[in-house]
Amino acid sequence: MNRREFVKTSLLGAALAGVAVAPLRTAIAAEPLKVGVLIPLSGPAGLFGPSSQNCAMLAAKEINANGGVLGRQIELQFADVGGPPADATRAALKLWKGEKTEAFIGMHDSAVRGALTNLFKGQVPYIYTPVYEGGECSTGTYVLGETPNQQLEPVIPWMASEKGADKWYLIGNDYNWPRDTNAAAKGYISSSGGSVVGEEYLPFTADNFDSNLAKIKDTGANAVLITLVGGASVGFNRAFASFGLSAGALRLGTLIEENTLMGIGAENSANLYSSAGYFGNIESPAAKAFADAYKAEFGADAALLNALGESCYEGVKLLKALADKTGSLDAAAMDAAADGVSYDGPRGKATMSARHVSRDIFLAEANGNQFKVIKTFENVGAGNNCG
Amino acid sequence: MEIVTVYGLNLLYTVATLGLIVLGLAVVFGLLGVMNMAHGEFVMLGAYSALIVQNQGLPILLAIPLALLVCGLFGWLVEWLMIRHLYSRPFDTLLATWGLAILMRKAIEGLFGRGYQSIDQTVPGTVHLLGVDYPAYRIVLFGVIAVLFAVLFGWYQRSNTGARIKAMVSNLELAAAVGIDTVLLARMTFVFGVCTAGLAGVLLAPLVRIEPFMGLDYLLSSFFILVVGGLGSLEGLLIGSGIIGGTDIVVSAISDKTAGYLSVLTISILFLWLKPDGIFSRR
Repeated sequence: MNRREFVKTSLLGAALAGVAVAPLRTAIAAEPLKVGVLIPLSGPAGLFGPSSQNCAMLAAKEINANGGVLGRQIELQFADVGGPPADATRAALKLWKGEKTEAFIGMHDSAVRGALTNLFKGQVPYIYTPVYEGGECSTGTYVLGETPNQQLEPVIPWMASEKGADKWYLIGNDYNWPRDTNAAAKGYISSSGGSVVGEEYLPFTADNFDSNLAKIKDTGANAVLITLVGGASVGFNRAFASFGLSAGALRLGTLIEENTLMGIGAENSANLYSSAGYFGNIESPAAKAFADAYKAEFGADAALLNALGESCYEGVKLLKALADKTGSLDAAAMDAAADGVSYDGPRGKATMSARHVSRDIFLAEANGNQFKVIKTFENVGAGNNCG
Repeated sequence: MEIVTVYGLNLLYTVATLGLIVLGLAVVFGLLGVMNMAHGEFVMLGAYSALIVQNQGLPILLAIPLALLVCGLFGWLVEWLMIRHLYSRPFDTLLATWGLAILMRKAIEGLFGRGYQSIDQTVPGTVHLLGVDYPAYRIVLFGVIAVLFAVLFGWYQRSNTGARIKAMVSNLELAAAVGIDTVLLARMTFVFGVCTAGLAGVLLAPLVRIEPFMGLDYLLSSFFILVVGGLGSLEGLLIGSGIIGGTDIVVSAISDKTAGYLSVLTISILFLWLKPDGIFSRR
């Protein structure tokens, strides 16, 4: 069976490796600013490729229409980093040394981020945009994504006081993001007067959740913190609801975005909450304007807006804010000037300190297959990431 | 006590659904010697057939004839264009059907997009059974799968076609010599195999995640079952499903999910090594 699986994965890899670098040309004279956008176009996270690509393109278009960055027009260069870190490193190196790319924006997993900070070594500005486990503090790296601190510090006490959540079951896929998220969660749960009644980590291959559901029911948990990702989250939540567990226990996810909710389905989404820095239907004027512009640019059938895709828009915005304050794209100068840089995006105002941004956090409740924001926690800090 | 009942029902559910999924693969591999790497993708076709029916607002039961039609026609075409040229070349069929699987995934991705889809529960809610609340749709599924297997078993044992298939499998030349149209029979066997995969897709659609890559899950677990159960008999298929599904459930319950998966892999490797023909071998 090992050999078959090897054949399977290597063939899959070979088939997907064809999608490599797709440069996007913005026809303009005087030395355009090449910005590498590293996003998954293949692999399990490839689902988020189209929305990420759209959002980055929209940001570049808007900035270019207003004079660009330091008077230069942005030219986005997309590369697929959906594969293993070694492939991502190669793709980034090709852009950096081959195409003379001057800044990078990345929306990918943490393994790839580790490889890239090792490659860049602070010599080129690198903005990491998606939700992640916290703790990145490399020179030249700027982090936009929500940390566990931001997603849970205000939300867990709120769940305890408003929804009576005091017996938590923690379930996630078996890698560092769920484990670090749960480590943070435990502190907030105990300080809100609750207890953890179970904690489980599942392999990515899990597609049957029966034994987990039996355990959850057996422990009498009234809240489940879900850090399963993608298909595992879809399968778990469908089974959870089919066993009739959703009436007795609320579910809180820190990576349940619009696509995942579509897969979970309207009839399985009762009592399901999601905590994130962005949802496609936030009611603020800035978020509405962004959603309208997205629709106008890419049509009503374009890839659903979600926190991961939108983070690429924020990434381009942050690059401009950093470059404007620094007055150049020199990595060392930018590093010195970064603290205090702020910009306004669809998520609201973001202010940088210690390589992270403090920002508003939204708690949304699933209503059928749509999210509805029920509570906004303003200006939540990213916690201590450089300690 | 309640939790034991739940685990018992879960075990039954796992064996039943695994048996349903692996049936078509076992038929095609066991009778024709064709390792169909695109088997999971035919399950996917079934699930997307259910999606089409739901999106058109038609009664969901129409998904069954649609899936059989789609899988039947496509399976016929695949057999005629590709498989029939590769009989008795097992490694070539493996590569060819793997290519087919990629093609099918990409086609579905092109038609429906990469995102997750959702099929409503046909029979929503839970029922109180043996002292526990259990999903109603799963109970219905038990009945449907039991009837399906009973009918199939009876038909294969008693019908003329069943006898012809057995003749073809045990001696192809002799079967052809006594006037059995083995070319047609082989094609129908292949079409039958992929149709059961499509049917499994329709039946499981309300319970599982639906996206273009869903077929990969089913392929892997199906192979484990074939390795353990052996090829070419219904008993082996059910025993294999029981061992693989049962190990996963019991070990996951006692320890955790990772240990469950690890023990399934270990059992599969031990069987490949020590008992490569499985428990029920025709040889």
